[in-house]
Amino acid sequence: MHAIEAISLEKRFGTIQALAGISFSVEEGETFGFLGPNGAGKTTTIRILTGMTEPTGGSGRIFGRDVVQEKIPARREIGIVHETSNIYTDLSAWENLMFTARLYNVGKRERESRALDLLSVFGLSGRKDDKTKGFSKGMKRRLTIAMGLINNPRLLFLDEPTSGLDVQSNLIIRDVIRRLAGEGVTIFLTTHNIEEANILCDRVAIINRGRIAAIDTPERLKKTIQSVQSIEVAFDPPGAVRAEDLAGIDQVTGVRKMGDKIRLITGDPPAVIVGVTDYARRSGLRIISINTLGPSLEDVFIRLTGLDGEGGGGGP
Amino acid sequence: MRSVSEYCTGVCTGFSAAWAIARKDILIYYAKPNIIVSGMLFPLFMFLAFALGRPADPATMVPGLIAITILFSSSSIEPVSIPLERRTKTFERLLSAPISLHMVVLGESMSGFLYACCIALVPLAAGMVLFQTSLPDLPALAAGILLLSFCFATMGTLFAAYPTESPGDIMSMLNLVRLPLIFVSGVFVPMGQVPFPGQIIAYLSPLTYGNDLVQAGFGKATLFHPAIDIAALCIAIGIFQSLANRLYHTFNE
Repeated sequence: MHAIEAISLEKRFGTIQALAGISFSVEEGETFGFLGPNGAGKTTTIRILTGMTEPTGGSGRIFGRDVVQEKIPARREIGIVHETSNIYTDLSAWENLMFTARLYNVGKRERESRALDLLSVFGLSGRKDDKTKGFSKGMKRRLTIAMGLINNPRLLFLDEPTSGLDVQSNLIIRDVIRRLAGEGVTIFLTTHNIEEANILCDRVAIINRGRIAAIDTPERLKKTIQSVQSIEVAFDPPGAVRAEDLAGIDQVTGVRKMGDKIRLITGDPPAVIVGVTDYARRSGLRIISINTLGPSLEDVFIRLTGLDGEGGGGGP
Repeated sequence: MRSVSEYCTGVCTGFSAAWAIARKDILIYYAKPNIIVSGMLFPLFMFLAFALGRPADPATMVPGLIAITILFSSSSIEPVSIPLERRTKTFERLLSAPISLHMVVLGESMSGFLYACCIALVPLAAGMVLFQTSLPDLPALAAGILLLSFCFATMGTLFAAYPTESPGDIMSMLNLVRLPLIFVSGVFVPMGQVPFPGQIIAYLSPLTYGNDLVQAGFGKATLFHPAIDIAALCIAIGIFQSLANRLYHTFNE
């Protein structure tokens, strides 16, 4: 049985087509990334799959249960972590967890034991009885995820779990996601952090303008655009480098400044390395480091969503 | 097809979740300043505005004070809590929980209901202590307080369905309904003195029937038999609950 099945899902808001008949399935135990630019249809898809809104066409199933006809039993199987850290700031961390557990009808003994475990896992035990008004952004986010897990879900929807967080919170959350995946929990992750999807997800779907542009493993997706390789080079002194000179090197199709480094996009890395060395010699620059990079998931995303100007553009 | 036991379990878990929502509202909103002003002080000042300088014995106005206290206190929680929860996105938690919209509406209304039941005891106690009012028909009074509280709490939840993040927007609309009702529902102004168009509105107003039940509790003359008052309030609760359910569903799309 699939954990999630979306069959020709359509959603129309008046004249705007938010989803144009998307289909995909997520296997039980899989960590599935859902990527797309703003307005691509990610949130609408989550809202349909969690029964918060009804599709105008097609159907969705969670562990075989229809998300419209069997909304409540389907919701019992899932945990939802919304994009915003929607906790009750007038309540303590403990009260927030207890309230969520009661909404999901988790028994008293189980909810108390699970809440204690979750507070410990997310590093919040010491703040258990404090009002969450005084929590940092990272602590609020960690508590939001803990609340999504209080009912021990088989499927967890995570909407931008680490967006804008500090390093400590990021590490804790990614570690928890890996641990949940190891325990067989299915994870549906939407994120703008493509590297996060690359390291956490078994498969990713890229959605653009309400249509699925691609679904595959991160590595297979990268192979689809092998022509996009790059050389990342750091010069000394960095300020003396002129991007237009580098763009003029034979076989270079694009130049991107990446901090103190410069990335040269190419389909022929060996030829560009020779060109870069010549350029450095001519300009009196010293090459500090030079690396050949394959296409990243970000490159795939940019290519498929048309953000490089070649494709269909961003969201509606 | 669901079995009877599955159905019963579903109903029980629904009520349990509704109580969890009410409990959360009690913890968070009962002590908020705007709730206290709207639910307690506003009816007191309305009472004083009617009572001061009038020849009538203030004791005769105690049932009316109880009725308007319930009107304002029961319908004050949700118009504040729901827009605030929309703003903080916590309302999405309720909409995505494994419970029906009916139970969400019920849970929200329960907090207003309990708040009004407690607040109504203040003018009741004051009337008994200060004016030695008697209560010859306690069941009618209890039914009046309970049904009126639940009816207007559900009305508050209904108005809060309007998709705004500002409590002020909902309070403005609500006052447009609540304030005229005081004048036409026989609370302080006898129905006979109300102009004819007002009397038509009075027959559609749940406050008329709730006030009538409270009056019966105090042994005063009433307009209808208590059974009619109870039936009218139950119908109003049903209408408000169904409308609220439909509006939350529509505005959530």
